Amino acid sequence: MIHFDEMACLLYLEGQLEDSRARELAAHVAECAPCRYLLHALERESKLLSGALTEEDEAIPARLLGVQTQGWPSWVWSLAFAAFAAASYWVWNDGIGPWLDQLNNAGFGGTNLMSMMLFSGAFWEGWGDLVDILQIVALLAVVILALGLVRRRLRRPAAVALVLPALLIALALPPQAGAAEVRRGRAVLVPAGETIHNDLIATGPSVRIDGTVEGDLIVFTRELTVTGHVTGDVIAFAGQALIDGTVDGNARVFSQHATLQGSIGKNVTAFANSITVTPMGNVGGGMLAFAGEADLEGKIRRDLMGRIGRSDLDGLIGGQVWIRGLTLDVASTAEIDGPATFQGNQQPSVAAGAKLASPIRTEITQEVGRSRRSETRKVIHEIIGYGAALLAGILLLTVFPGFYRSTLRETGAIGLPLGVGALAFISGIFVFVLGVLLLFIGVTAGVAGALLYAPILYLAQVFVGAWLGNKILGVTSTQTGAVIGRMALGLLILHVARLIPVLGGLTWLVVLLWGTGAVLMGFYRMSRVENVPLPA
Amino acid sequence: MNPAEQAGLRERIAQAQSGNADAWGELYRLHAPAIFRFCRRAMPTREDAEDATMDIFIKVRQKLSQYDVNRPFSAWLYTVAANHCWDLLRRRKVRQDLETGEVENMPLEHPDPGQLEQLIEKHTSQQVRRALDHLPARSRMALVLRYYSEMSYDEIAGTLGVRRTFVGVVLLRARHQLREILEGRGAANAAAGGPA
Repeated sequence: MIHFDEMACLLYLEGQLEDSRARELAAHVAECAPCRYLLHALERESKLLSGALTEEDEAIPARLLGVQTQGWPSWVWSLAFAAFAAASYWVWNDGIGPWLDQLNNAGFGGTNLMSMMLFSGAFWEGWGDLVDILQIVALLAVVILALGLVRRRLRRPAAVALVLPALLIALALPPQAGAAEVRRGRAVLVPAGETIHNDLIATGPSVRIDGTVEGDLIVFTRELTVTGHVTGDVIAFAGQALIDGTVDGNARVFSQHATLQGSIGKNVTAFANSITVTPMGNVGGGMLAFAGEADLEGKIRRDLMGRIGRSDLDGLIGGQVWIRGLTLDVASTAEIDGPATFQGNQQPSVAAGAKLASPIRTEITQEVGRSRRSETRKVIHEIIGYGAALLAGILLLTVFPGFYRSTLRETGAIGLPLGVGALAFISGIFVFVLGVLLLFIGVTAGVAGALLYAPILYLAQVFVGAWLGNKILGVTSTQTGAVIGRMALGLLILHVARLIPVLGGLTWLVVLLWGTGAVLMGFYRMSRVENVPLPA
Repeated sequence: MNPAEQAGLRERIAQAQSGNADAWGELYRLHAPAIFRFCRRAMPTREDAEDATMDIFIKVRQKLSQYDVNRPFSAWLYTVAANHCWDLLRRRKVRQDLETGEVENMPLEHPDPGQLEQLIEKHTSQQVRRALDHLPARSRMALVLRYYSEMSYDEIAGTLGVRRTFVGVVLLRARHQLREILEGRGAANAAAGGPA
């Protein structure tokens, strides 16, 4: 007897056999026990398969229950971009525009602003260090958060990750006064004899303090003169700033020309085109200066550190000196009580009568060499940045795999996260400007917000890099090694791209906006996860 | 589904097609568990299944206007889901696994019905599901399409991109691979090919 094979039996069971052949098989099976058994076994196998596959063995994840009802329909795109356009217009019209007017009033307009910003190149060079510091801070924040959250196994890491650093930063920074006195006008004057028992915020073309401010003085003006007494800090954004009185705290001056003629109890931080400490000037602490020119004739009781184009030292420096710039002239009246270092492209000139604790250590930086070194430094910087970003990405993947996946998924949408990122950036600037300059919510909140934004900004590259890696090598999710490999490749491409002038910068602008948008959307998704049972 | 339920479903679909978010939410709530389970069976990990489910419903919402109301809604959903999952798996497969044509050329051992019965007796649904995880992508997908979504051979052929006459071979091959894994003989094969 010729038996039917397994294939024919299966097709018969599935109703896929031609009619004539099916009849033939049915007749055969009635006579043939082995084929009947086989047919029966295959049928049972089919039932086992159906049962195993359709059995409801696990609950549907909560994130699938809520998201679609409020998903991202196509109109959200339009709305996001419309909101972005509206926000940009609003920020420009009501935010940046008036501030620019005020800047113009304060003498910072047009080329003046540029000259002040660039400080003969010194200011821009400083950004590299700032970015390094930000990278380290961001990485540390991620590590600390990761460790803390792993230990506690908190249910909502994303929300905690947002709130915790903000709280820490808010607690770490000194509290600001709840309310400050605000004065605006063409000429703001605190006359001699008047005492303000509060912080004072003063804006207008001209601000003059002859009286006493028992608190901090925050000024935004074209011309600032302080001949009175400020018991707290002075934070000044001013075209011309003259401090001729007494400041018990610190002086933070952002100015085109700053002159310190009076007494500053603590430290001075100055971003200025030119800064002068007159022979009458006395700084109780140290000075950190970013300036095109500095003429220091007075007394600085502690260290002096600065990136200063041309420095003239005529007075006393009580501590160490470290200056990087073009020239350094030390006059015969100068006295430096600590070790001094100068980095520049020519030897400092030291007059005969100058009192130095030790000879000035000089590091000559040749232009060509410097340029080569700066190229090398740039590459090294990129390598370190790459390693740090990869580490942050691996940590994130290991500690918060759900958040990583969710955010990577959002990254894939490209346009929407880009829109959200741009919106967050504009709103962030606006909130920061409001927070720091207008002090509606205080300096602490403004700085906390900015520091909170930094890790998000930092992680942006991880997700764009991972997305890029997936695009090149194909999506995978089963093996951690493969996921990390894709992230590493994507990040490498991004960091190499950054070395390209102009194009690299533009690419990174897109990467940052895109990635921050994705991270924020990832946070949103994660915050909606809850453990709920399968719906009936 | 009784006629009243069918009418209700059609009405919800029509409302969702005209942009009613509540109706869409209702459709989603009704069908998301089944589609998630489909993805869970078809995709290698739970995370993949979650992501795929979300993507599928985003696609469904975008394509809802193209849905032909004369066709069963769940069948249409499964088609979209199957195409999406298979597309994902195929993209990964190019670089990942070893399952290609050579498997199809391997001769199939004719089963002993008695042994097959014993094998079925011995194993639970859970063990079968676990074994399914070790099947190559196409074999697993074929079984899921046929025994979970109850798709026709034509639909399976369309989704997997194979000739209709070849669907039976794919299914039978998948059953053999599953039996080998359940017997413990397929462990080495599964390890070599890996979960696709």
